[in-house]
Amino acid sequence: MAEPVLQLNNLSVSFDTSSGEVEAVRDISLSLNKGEILAVVGESGCGKTVMSQSVLKLLPKTSRIKQGRIIVDGEDITDYTEKQMRRLRGSVLSMVFQDPMTTLNPTIPIGKQITESISKHTRVSREQARQRALEMLNLVGIENPEQMFALQPHFFSGGMRQRCVLAIALASNPKVLFADEATTALDVTVQAKIIDLLLDIRDKSGISIVFISHDFGTVARIADRVAVMYAGKIVEIGTAEEVYYDPRHPYVWGLMSALPSLTKEGEDLTSISGMPPVMLNPPLGDAFAVRNEFALAIDYEEMPPMFQISPTHSAATWLLDERAPKITSPISLQRRTEV
Amino acid sequence: MNRKATISKKLIKRILGFILTIFILSVGVFYIARLAPGDPLQSYYGDAVESMTTAELDAARVRLGLDGPIYLQYSKWISNVLQGDFGLSLKYKTPALEVVSPLIGNTLLLGGTAYILVFVLATLLALFCARNEDTLVDRIICKVGTAAYYIPPFWLGVVLVLIFSINLQWLPSSGAYDIGKSGDILNRIQHMILPLVVMILSHLWYYAYMIRNKLLDEIRKDYVLLAKSKGCNKDEIVFKHCFRNVAPTIVSIMAISIPHVLSGTYIAESVFNYPGIGALAVVSAKYHDYNLLMLVVLITGILVVSTSMIAQSINEVIDPRMKLKEVPTCRIIESSSS
Repeated sequence: MAEPVLQLNNLSVSFDTSSGEVEAVRDISLSLNKGEILAVVGESGCGKTVMSQSVLKLLPKTSRIKQGRIIVDGEDITDYTEKQMRRLRGSVLSMVFQDPMTTLNPTIPIGKQITESISKHTRVSREQARQRALEMLNLVGIENPEQMFALQPHFFSGGMRQRCVLAIALASNPKVLFADEATTALDVTVQAKIIDLLLDIRDKSGISIVFISHDFGTVARIADRVAVMYAGKIVEIGTAEEVYYDPRHPYVWGLMSALPSLTKEGEDLTSISGMPPVMLNPPLGDAFAVRNEFALAIDYEEMPPMFQISPTHSAATWLLDERAPKITSPISLQRRTEV
Repeated sequence: MNRKATISKKLIKRILGFILTIFILSVGVFYIARLAPGDPLQSYYGDAVESMTTAELDAARVRLGLDGPIYLQYSKWISNVLQGDFGLSLKYKTPALEVVSPLIGNTLLLGGTAYILVFVLATLLALFCARNEDTLVDRIICKVGTAAYYIPPFWLGVVLVLIFSINLQWLPSSGAYDIGKSGDILNRIQHMILPLVVMILSHLWYYAYMIRNKLLDEIRKDYVLLAKSKGCNKDEIVFKHCFRNVAPTIVSIMAISIPHVLSGTYIAESVFNYPGIGALAVVSAKYHDYNLLMLVVLITGILVVSTSMIAQSINEVIDPRMKLKEVPTCRIIESSSS
């Protein structure tokens, strides 16, 4: 079996602030294969963005990788210097951000922003870079690329800008693309088109994508595998099918039951009560315990390990321990599984 | 064709605005100068005014156009000005234009050099500080810069004269050139060094700090993350990406700062006895030399307003989004695919 393109081994990232250490990412392990789309889902503040930016080392100086290894394409990049990272950024690892209205430089023409990304990593003539940039614009579905090439971003709509950002991110054939809430700021129809575009690009180029989102609906359309994060930890990870149809972690149950599509007409929408914890001095034990109606005594004392459910599916909850009482997922979720 | 029409329309609008601004300025200064206490005849006749009779004084007032209500004086003055007659300088007893014209060059030379140096140095310093944000060098420059900015320029001028002219005798203490050497560039530069040092030190950090903070604002923006994630290094981000977005702001700051730097020039001129219109402005206000004062004010006003208009035009070229009230003509319709 081929080696994964991206591997995180027990990665922890903390921020040193004046009021103490904020543990944004805690002990995350995951791997991503070539051509695979892994969705990372979680509430805001759960560490999704910090996790992805720590791989590209885009985080501010106050952050540090506390422990763990980042392995890209078989190479351990955890201790890479800024200079070494620059060579990887764009050419091996690339990123698309949430708000296309602000992620493009407002005064530089689109074409130049793409060619910059190309000439950074390959020795090409101006004309070659231009040709490649036009190809990229074509690939991401911008019509009349020749004409658009010289225009500044303010001539473009949000959806078109996100396409341009994608063109920039993909211009040097990266192996892994981090799409950090890449569709969140777009309206629903544009969202669907960008997702189709991402899938299309994956099929054509075999790129691996880490798709960060808080929207289960969007994720369902795109993901091969899904990782659910809570309070800086992955609480459940598995193939999309496993996580959607056989979730094991009470937090994922909560999230799933909150989906409006699972609510019958006339019923109130369900929600998970309480608030996610502040990651300054995170609670002992399972961070979700206080909001968990199925919490066990041990949840308050010891962090649950990852329990393997199938070779691809694991979840971190004490409910999966053999000594735990057997609790099945809530009725509303079973309702869907039956359909 | 359409484009040409809008441009000429805009130009006419600007010129009208320009004339209106200068008109309001002249009215304001004219009134304030005349309402200020003091007697212009004192500067015209000197001590002889003490021994003049009331009738003689009245006759002199009529002759010099100092009689009647102020609005009549103003209308007389402005009709003369429109014919190119700026009146007599009461202090120097020659046409005001003749007093001013040899000095304009001196002021423009000193002020212009200072202005360019201040902004070139401020931009370089700001880029350097932003590039090395929060390092020891940046922090030292910030502290030293702030301290330097708060040194009063007149005091600094006197200290510099004491050190470099009197003790070391390296540089001249006053004037724009030695007698008979008005064409000698080296001699002029020698005379300009001390005034320039004072002006640069008293303006540099103010603008460098402003530009530095603008740059830091830019560095925090989202597009920097994208630039970083495509492999740009810090230099490229600061110099190529961020500087480009700060450039219009720098041009705006430069335009707004013209009065500030000009007033700095006036102070430096007074301290170093540099013959320029700044020193003249102080003198003319002191002696109630109305005609001279009005001329100096007009020159200063035209300089300030026209440069700020030019700056606006440059801004539009750098950043097309800044066009004032332009109809959105070429917003491309969302392509059918997105």
